[in-house]
Amino acid sequence: MSAVEAATHPTAANLPALRRISTRFFRSELLLIFGRRRNWAGMAVLAAVPLIIAIAVKVTAPRPGGGGPDFLSSITSNGLFVALAALAVELPLFLPLAVSAIAGDAVAGEANLGTLRNLLAVPVHRTRLLAVKYAAIVVFAVAATALIAAVGALAGLVLFGGGPLTLLSGVQVPFGTGLVRLVLVCGYIAACLAALGAVGLFVSTLTEQPIGATIATLIFAITSHILDAIPQLDWLHPYLISHYWMAFGDLLRSPIATTSIWPGLGSAAAYTLIFLAAAWARFSSRDITS
Amino acid sequence: MDGTRPSRACSFLEEVAELLISRPALRWIAPIAVLAVALAVGSAGTLLRAQAAGALPSRTAEQLLVDLQTAKPGGFSGTVVHQADLGLPQLPSLRGGDGSSELSSLVSGNHTLKVWYDGPQRSRLALLGTLGESDIIRNGRDVWTWSSSSKSATHVVLPAKVKGRDPLPPEARSQLPQTPEDAAKQALAAIDPTTKVTTDATTTVAGRAAYQLILTPRDTTSLVGQVRLAIDGAKHIPLQVQVFARGASEPAFQVGFTQITFGTPSADQFTFSPPPGTKVKQVTPGEHAGLDHARKGAPHPNAKPGTAAGADRPQVVGKGWTTVVLARDVPAAGSSGSDNQVSAVLAALPKVSGAWGSGRLLKSSLFSVLVTDDGRVLAGAVSPERLYSVAESTK
Repeated sequence: MSAVEAATHPTAANLPALRRISTRFFRSELLLIFGRRRNWAGMAVLAAVPLIIAIAVKVTAPRPGGGGPDFLSSITSNGLFVALAALAVELPLFLPLAVSAIAGDAVAGEANLGTLRNLLAVPVHRTRLLAVKYAAIVVFAVAATALIAAVGALAGLVLFGGGPLTLLSGVQVPFGTGLVRLVLVCGYIAACLAALGAVGLFVSTLTEQPIGATIATLIFAITSHILDAIPQLDWLHPYLISHYWMAFGDLLRSPIATTSIWPGLGSAAAYTLIFLAAAWARFSSRDITS
Repeated sequence: MDGTRPSRACSFLEEVAELLISRPALRWIAPIAVLAVALAVGSAGTLLRAQAAGALPSRTAEQLLVDLQTAKPGGFSGTVVHQADLGLPQLPSLRGGDGSSELSSLVSGNHTLKVWYDGPQRSRLALLGTLGESDIIRNGRDVWTWSSSSKSATHVVLPAKVKGRDPLPPEARSQLPQTPEDAAKQALAAIDPTTKVTTDATTTVAGRAAYQLILTPRDTTSLVGQVRLAIDGAKHIPLQVQVFARGASEPAFQVGFTQITFGTPSADQFTFSPPPGTKVKQVTPGEHAGLDHARKGAPHPNAKPGTAAGADRPQVVGKGWTTVVLARDVPAAGSSGSDNQVSAVLAALPKVSGAWGSGRLLKSSLFSVLVTDDGRVLAGAVSPERLYSVAESTK
């Protein structure tokens, strides 16, 4: 307990030392996330979806009338749509699952392994520990989204070629503009996932079982999807975490429609701040027993 | 301490830190405060918009009608939200709902549309679906429709001289109102026997102060309880239309701006060229001859041999708000319905029968449609009972 007391009383003397430790801490945290074999497996699954989509569309004859997931019928006209189709397919389940796994593991995983006490004895201020954990979650959310987009775009460009991109409004934009739109889509989706990561970080401070935290976070996201599909609850919809996720399509219109993008980013920011504050309130006052 | 003097803010923070250590439960104030701020910021926009409505000088219903006719808004662009809660039954081919970008989905659910307007000759309407979009673009004589989900477009070239073809005979023209004031008076006089026209307190739509014009049917058998129009206080264009079912406090149908900007939109909005790979259907207005054929009683070109020619011109029973439109020998109606989709819809409707015969009934909060087994279709903004009595009297 004395280490914890020391950590909650940062004096002017040990502040620079803490800062130096935390950069290293952040780097080691990233190494932990991106070095684990199970996370490699998870990212391989994320990256497999755009490959499957691209190959499936390539080897089968085009079907009239479209059908199937959104953007699928547009893939043959421009390879960038492989990335967009993969993001649209993975956004409801795979991406939230990946972020839940990382976020749920953040604190509960350390507690479960018994390394949390050692970590705090270093000493690392608890608020700083949370900040580093959350920053790593955000980096993972961005990396997972970018991985899908990059694999999808590469596979699509190799199999179907690039060229001007037809937006949802039926307007064609040059390939460079299309790439910028794809980057914007990735940024928006990553912001939405970072909000879910904040929820996961909070849940992770409640328990010492990382699996439990992961499942609870995923259930939170899926419950939000289910409630969002019930029209009788339309008063609740704007407050649900996943309500604006699919609004990334608005970035593919001409001109970009911001009617859902700004509320979507606002909702993500609100969820992030609320659950980070809750995680801080919980974690910095909790007794660390393992 | 290594000699750095703690500032006042620093000592305050230390006090807070000590308080938080002695009473950890106080830390939960932080997330609650953030939640409160988030909710406050979220609702602040609504509050600000409500306050933006300045006081408007009062205007009579007649003046508002004149305003509507003389409105010259110039260009504008904005966001329109369309909400329909007609209480329709779930039908197989009537897939409405939120998020669809098909224009036919507008019968139910909530939809967001974008509007760009630069006079009647140049306008664009975009229905924003989830990962989809439908557009209608008019630029002079060219009218394009575009659907992103089917990657298809239609191109209609309007006839060059619409004005030259005056549909009205000269004697009728002389009776036409010469000024908007006359027109407003005539319109009010014409609808007065059936409709009470009143105004209500000014309201705020899309952050703009607006007048309210209320049409109330005098005939209490109509399903329509009230139609409310919100008219922009400065630009005099309708900002919102709400249709209330009788006795309902929430509108069954509502379409209105949530955001509007006045000013000529960029010319890019009104140009459309179908992207490569698009199925383009060229339509010349002359091909819509089917309607004319039906009116003349000639067989519809698509009508199947043996069935009656595309239905006679629909008969109108009653007037005003309780008008019932009656069509006889509609091929799709009745047991001989040939179209699979139509018969699937009909089969999903409840069966009704009475002294007038038997058939299927589509009932919503604003209108009823009766399809009888002998091929008649009756529709109106009335209760099913009124349709039954019309069906009996016109048997």
